[in-house]
Amino acid sequence: MRSVDVVIVGASLAAAAAAKRLVDAGLETIVIERKELPRHKICSGILSPRGHRFLLENFGPLPSETVHQPTSCRGVTFHFPSMVSMPMDFFGGSTPHLHRKYSDHWAIQRSGAEVHDRTSFAGLEDKGDHVVVQASRNGEPVEYRARQVIGADGPSSPVVRAVYPGYAKQIPWFFVGQKFHDIIDCPLSADYFHFWFHPGLGHYTWSHARDGRQIVGVGFKRGDNFARKHEVVQRYLEEKHGVRLQPAADDHEGCAENFGPSLINRYVFGKGNVLATGQAAGFLNMIGEGMSCALHSGAISGEAVVEARRRNRPVQEVYRRMIASEVRRCTDQWNPLKIAFDKPHEADFPAALMQLGWRDRAKVLRDMWRFIVLFKEFNWGRQIVSGALQRPVIGGYSMQRWL
Amino acid sequence: MIPRVEPGTVGPCPVAADALQGIKRQQTNPARWNGAGWQAFADAVRAAGVELAEGAIACGVYLTDAGGTAYGLPHGVVIARSAAQISVLLKAAQAHRVPLTVRGGGLTTEGESVAFGGVLLDMTGMSRVLAIDAAALTVRTEAGIYWHSLAEELRRENLDYLSAPLNLTSSVGGTLGVGGIDVNSARLGCSADQALSLQVVTPTGDIVECSDDENAELFQRVILGYGQFGIITEATLRLRPYTPLSMHYYYYSSLRTAIEDLQMLDSNDASDYSGILTIMDCAVNLLVAFDSGEREAAFRKNWASRLRGFGEFGFALSMAGHYALRPWKFREALYLLQRKREVFPEFRRTEYMRDGKMHDRSVVFSRAVWKHWGSRNMVIPDLATPADRFIEAVERGNAVCRKYFRHYTLYCVGIRLRPDHGPHYEMSCIPPAAQGWAYGCEFEPMIEGGVYSRDHFQSFKNAIYDIGVDLGASYYRFGGMMKGYIRRVFGDELVDRHLAMKRRADPAMILNRDVIF
Repeated sequence: MRSVDVVIVGASLAAAAAAKRLVDAGLETIVIERKELPRHKICSGILSPRGHRFLLENFGPLPSETVHQPTSCRGVTFHFPSMVSMPMDFFGGSTPHLHRKYSDHWAIQRSGAEVHDRTSFAGLEDKGDHVVVQASRNGEPVEYRARQVIGADGPSSPVVRAVYPGYAKQIPWFFVGQKFHDIIDCPLSADYFHFWFHPGLGHYTWSHARDGRQIVGVGFKRGDNFARKHEVVQRYLEEKHGVRLQPAADDHEGCAENFGPSLINRYVFGKGNVLATGQAAGFLNMIGEGMSCALHSGAISGEAVVEARRRNRPVQEVYRRMIASEVRRCTDQWNPLKIAFDKPHEADFPAALMQLGWRDRAKVLRDMWRFIVLFKEFNWGRQIVSGALQRPVIGGYSMQRWL
Repeated sequence: MIPRVEPGTVGPCPVAADALQGIKRQQTNPARWNGAGWQAFADAVRAAGVELAEGAIACGVYLTDAGGTAYGLPHGVVIARSAAQISVLLKAAQAHRVPLTVRGGGLTTEGESVAFGGVLLDMTGMSRVLAIDAAALTVRTEAGIYWHSLAEELRRENLDYLSAPLNLTSSVGGTLGVGGIDVNSARLGCSADQALSLQVVTPTGDIVECSDDENAELFQRVILGYGQFGIITEATLRLRPYTPLSMHYYYYSSLRTAIEDLQMLDSNDASDYSGILTIMDCAVNLLVAFDSGEREAAFRKNWASRLRGFGEFGFALSMAGHYALRPWKFREALYLLQRKREVFPEFRRTEYMRDGKMHDRSVVFSRAVWKHWGSRNMVIPDLATPADRFIEAVERGNAVCRKYFRHYTLYCVGIRLRPDHGPHYEMSCIPPAAQGWAYGCEFEPMIEGGVYSRDHFQSFKNAIYDIGVDLGASYYRFGGMMKGYIRRVFGDELVDRHLAMKRRADPAMILNRDVIF
């Protein structure tokens, strides 16, 4: 059995950030990844400026293979059923359009950690002073002994499921899928990520250009039909926006997503010597961008392990205190009071709104309300309001709600 | 294949030209050195008689610096013993391309004295005072000595250095390489300016004596040079006779008024010591002190009446009125009271006061700094600006502090510039546009046992540093300047010129890499 300081499950951006901190501090770190690297990753690839800055500061300038064409994105355009469109530039300029297959591989290589790919996490046992991680490589069982384990393995995290077997049943799940189309004619600007606040299209509807094709993406409550939902969106884009596309290519893709935890402050940070981070912990920015908070929370998980060792404190205690700043930043983005009176996002929604005439402003607010009503069935309203009221009183969000 | 980016340069970036406006595409948080050639290096230095310690226990001591946000482990550690030993070490490091990080007191805040692999040289092993010349008022000392140890030796001769950082566990060598400010800097300049000559081991291992007259170019680069052009092993410093201080305190509720008064005193040479220490922006203390009765009498006669601050009692009354009208701010008022109870007595401890004069400000200030400001995270971003932009810098920085932390302190002083030291100041903490005086403000959050993530601290520091870029300021800190800011502040042309000098002096780019280049 290989004995190391830390095992990180997953070879994502969160894993790379955690690995970087651990390796810098001289801890022997192994990253285990189910697939062979570089591996495909389903993602829009539009990183926020904060994430871009993190990548630069910690891993250096991005090599050219780590970005798709167009290589950058100027901002986000919101579209509403009333046919009002609001383009908003990111604060601080354009951001990279990451090719996750290569950007993740580049980052994990730059972290300096030892990577075991084609190694599937199978389970773990926390023995108090160490954790035994069971995995399999090429069908053969392998075991690792580590002081700590970090689960950076995405929204439906096997590590979280190993620690909290019932967790996956407690939260609503969504499916997000994207199809790629050759373009006949597309009036949507290739400089922006386009998002529709349209209850008739789904919970999460987007489109943007990539490598000469147009992505049409839909997100909806799990159980619905991807092909049918996609067809509705494609028809809508053609009728309302004049987007004429060839039938989708065969390389469509989709995955399960957990939208809820960051909205209602129900993060899951692990138990004992096992930490969850990134989207495994529930971090997701508004507009579904998870990479920047994955990078930052991943780094914090690595720092927490180092800090806990230095101070001889329980790692969970240290991690939860340190992660509070990232929770504030992420959950603020969903906090209605913050949205109304502050600038929690990386683009200026209030300014874009004020540029519209009062009639359009009213339409936008009405359409947004109708869109929010779509989420009524999840009963998050009261929790969001109580979180928003709690924020100024205690200066953050309650840790009691975290798993 | 990961493309190699030459140290100090800005690598190509395929993302749009306007991405992250203003931010140079540099990795500021260095990658751990991969250890290639370490064993051959270790064998070579050991064969040359240098004691090299390896292993987690020996290296773990150096895991982080005073900033406490950067963690890095060296491959091995050498305790400095002599210039000859350091010369051997540097020659081997050049030959084997092993990065070498120098550490004195380890009071950097951005990880500049943290080794991300390679060898760490602990200078505290060279901490002897070599010669004191009371007649010529100079001292020759090894550079790894802490200022408080140097003060102890000098007091026996009734002497004092000109200026030293208030935090006296910084080393002489580290301070000369960075700056150093004191409450008398408005009159006597920054700590680095008191160096008359230095013994330096260059990155290629030559042992060289330098001063304004001898090897002047090296002297100019090493002073305020962030450790890029050589390791200071010995220094000759100017001294002055030791004097106790008579202190005066004035209290303000406005930062702007206090700074205007501070600048008025400095420009009229009205005091021997001056500085501002605050409790947030609520209680602003202008500290004025004197070496002699004559200077104090002149101040009382000509300048005291022009200061707009209150005495302690008057300020207490004014604050009582202020908070009586704003009962919702009662927590702030309680904090001010608590801070007053804790901190004020530190400056009046009977063991350091005789006949109303403070004996040994070095000890008094350093004690207070460690006891009431320091925590395990010394998060102290700062700004150094020309005099005319100082108020704006402090007010904007103050707003950032308010946003990020509940409690904080500002510490402001003037720094008298020496007209003949222009070349020393190039690409240093002294802002390029400053004439006569520069002004520095440290923004010191009170951590108070709280745990914050590195991201929180880094965002706070970046917000302060961004103000500096806006105002054409520089940064006056314990450690080197953040690599990501140096090109934004000084421009590519100047930085590239210094980088070319660095490459000539340090072909393998091994000495204190990633600090500014």
